Amino acid sequence: MELREFFNKDAVNLDLKGETKDEILKELIGLLGLDEKSESILFKMLKRRENLGSTGIGRGIAIPHCRSLVVNRLRVAFGRKKDGADFDAIDQQPVYNFFLIVAPPLEVSNQYLPVLGKIAQFAKEPDVPARLEALKTPEEFLSLIEEKTSR
Amino acid sequence: MHPQLEILLQIQDLKAQHRELSVTEGERQVEEEEFQVNIENALKQLEEKIQELEAELGPAIRSRYQRISAGRGRAVVPVINGLCYGCFMAIPTALASELTQNNDLRHCDHCGRFLYMIE
Repeated sequence: MELREFFNKDAVNLDLKGETKDEILKELIGLLGLDEKSESILFKMLKRRENLGSTGIGRGIAIPHCRSLVVNRLRVAFGRKKDGADFDAIDQQPVYNFFLIVAPPLEVSNQYLPVLGKIAQFAKEPDVPARLEALKTPEEFLSLIEEKTSR
Repeated sequence: MHPQLEILLQIQDLKAQHRELSVTEGERQVEEEEFQVNIENALKQLEEKIQELEAELGPAIRSRYQRISAGRGRAVVPVINGLCYGCFMAIPTALASELTQNNDLRHCDHCGRFLYMIE
């Protein structure tokens, strides 16, 4: 299972405009191209997940995630906010890089947990925050994911 | 989308989260270790929200939902490629076309689960 296979450049936004947690979640959800009602349900689910504990895991990275019936396969998106945003992260620091992961409740291939784990591991690599900050195009993001997670 | 269907979808999604944290070892471990979630508190919060949403269902729908949940687990399932993803039986074409906008609350003739059309 290669992490790169789950991303496409249309679901990468290197210039998020949102200032608040809610605005950023909505912007990330918008990258998935769902209908309006599905977006609304997904936003509520992600908010409820955030209420259980922030998905801001520190070092400027957050991984909002949940399972929801509004998707029929695992979907991922990436967003970067250059100035950072308050996301109630574990280390209380601003978050710059956001990985969204949404999976249906039942997955035949059970990819949700491995993808979540791989992104969390990727986020821990020492040079990743600086490499994400330096990205200029979505293609560069995809190359970075491939470089760091392909085995 | 039918407002009661929207509630049912939210309940089902919350139940999926609850199941992950309570019975799926790997997911519970990731939530605890990577995201520092307090599992006991999280489960309690989810249970409260599920109960709150269940109370918003109309009596007849709640009754059907409870009956299906007790007997078959998931009470609302997607229709994908013309199949009910609860019993994996084909949905009649006429019903599938009526479901397209999810404006009606319909159920599978075979297993009785509420249906949700997904692209």
